[in-house]
Amino acid sequence: MSNQAWILETRGLTKRLGGKNVVNEVNLAIGKGEIYGFLGPNGAGKTTTIRMLLGLAKPTKGSVHLFGRDIRKERIPILRKVGSLVEYPSYYGHLTAKENLEVVRRLLGVPRSRIDDVLSVVRLTKEADRAVKGYSLGMKQRLGIATALLGQPELLVLDEPTNGLDPAGIQEIRELIKSLPATQGVTILISSHLLSEVEQMATRVGIIDKGNLIYQDGIRMLRERAKSRIRFGVSEPEAAWRLLLSHGYEAAWDRHQLTVERADDRTVAAIVTQLVRQNHQVYRVEEETASLERIFLEMTGTEGSL
Amino acid sequence: MMLRLLSVELLKIRKKLLWLLVVIGPLGVVSLQAVNFGLRYDYLSKLYADGLWSGLILNVSNLALSALFIGLAIVASMSAGIEHQTNAWKMTLALPVSKGQVFGAKFLLNVLLLFVSSSLLVPFTLALGWALGFDGPIPIAELLRTAYYPLLAAMPFVAVQCGLSVHLANQALPMTIGIVGMIAAMFGSWFPDWVPWKWPSLLNASHEPLLSVGLGLVLGAVVFLVGMTVFARKDVT
Ligand SMILES: Nc1ncnc2c1ncn2[C@@H]1O[C@H](COP(=O)(O)OP(=O)(O)O)[C@@H](O)[C@H]1O
Ligand SMILES: [Mg+2]
Repeated sequence: MSNQAWILETRGLTKRLGGKNVVNEVNLAIGKGEIYGFLGPNGAGKTTTIRMLLGLAKPTKGSVHLFGRDIRKERIPILRKVGSLVEYPSYYGHLTAKENLEVVRRLLGVPRSRIDDVLSVVRLTKEADRAVKGYSLGMKQRLGIATALLGQPELLVLDEPTNGLDPAGIQEIRELIKSLPATQGVTILISSHLLSEVEQMATRVGIIDKGNLIYQDGIRMLRERAKSRIRFGVSEPEAAWRLLLSHGYEAAWDRHQLTVERADDRTVAAIVTQLVRQNHQVYRVEEETASLERIFLEMTGTEGSL
Repeated sequence: MMLRLLSVELLKIRKKLLWLLVVIGPLGVVSLQAVNFGLRYDYLSKLYADGLWSGLILNVSNLALSALFIGLAIVASMSAGIEHQTNAWKMTLALPVSKGQVFGAKFLLNVLLLFVSSSLLVPFTLALGWALGFDGPIPIAELLRTAYYPLLAAMPFVAVQCGLSVHLANQALPMTIGIVGMIAAMFGSWFPDWVPWKWPSLLNASHEPLLSVGLGLVLGAVVFLVGMTVFARKDVT
């Protein structure tokens, strides 16, 4: 079944490299107009997946459909509608930004005026006649995005477009990307190893870890997973914990506090009442909300290594 | 599409040393002959008394053969190097172009540059002859043969070097193979006729230069097709 609703769909996508599946049975699904955040720690298999989406690498197993067509059979007509930036930007350093864009423009066969259009979108018009080897990384990255936009693509694939940039550069690229679906009418797949980088712009996220797609849904569902817990600072945590247990509340304790998962207002009130009634001193009652980043790190088991 | 790809190839080598090399090759060959004839004019003019022009062309062709072999390796390496530097392959091959044609355009660029280089041998040799005060009829057919036949007969090597330089990001191995090829070609006349390194010398048992040219073109086409197929199938990293 080829689902026309998806702009991009992979089924059982697998790539075996160096004796292990660096991409393993991945089923991506991206709808029209979405900004899809493709997340995963370094080495998770994002770039390898993206290479297969663009027909740069052949899947060991599985299929890639873009616009309902098989990339293996209709690579050229598909790529006409896709703009991409894979890993670090590619450019010809001795040529100017304009000449670099002219190289791609000739291959795409689009009008000359597109060059000025995309240069202004990424705000490189003033620097357009300088050799690209003298550009900063952020400018090269922007030129890469301009190149990807040149053919007025329906799907834009950006692999870690903010990697290696300073915070100001990251912010700039983020604003640029956020403004694209409205101004250019495109669907965007953007990969990153940081959830925080895409969380404000993504409408959907897929999380890949060690080659496996471990989550794929709306960003809101992910936020709901950011379950809150209540911390009780008490004088004698262990005794307080026994008391709560005997009243049927599940809690955890350490030397300073008790924690109760996802307690509603009434439960919190009841717990406090019980504790006070049994002469426990309650120092503080706090709510702790797990950040999305923390959930991402827990899911991918890379806490501390990033 | 092929023309468009070739125009892009030419755009990419703008402002590159590659063009300088294309001129320096034939200029160097003729300059060395200028020194040779300048120093040994009396001896050489006696040796080639019944055909000064032919003598000059013969000397140019011997030197040009080595220059062709090393030149085709350098041209292949430099034109592929433009892509390897920032791994521009992944940018080009994610565009709606056929992978085979991308390889084909690179090969055509190499042939075009070598063709320009070979062509320059003609005016440079003429200029030297006139400067040396040669008169008499100019054996123009012989001169043109010297300029173009070796290149055509060397097509298998143009294709091999183009393939190697495109496939391997590190150009040390292709350049080593190119240098070994040049040395082998210097001893070309010692090999039996079927050895490709002999073909660009245009020597064979039947004294027919066109036989060497034909063999070179056929094997060149085969090597080119193999290189193109491998390139089209390979994953782009
Ligand atoms: N040619 C290769 N041979 C063997 N392993 C590879 C090769 N290319 C990539 N890998 C491995 O595949 C994994 C995924 O890499 P990659 O897709 O680049 O990850 P990401 O883009 O998510 O950082 C990494 O562990 C990497 O070491
Ligand atoms: Mg990557």
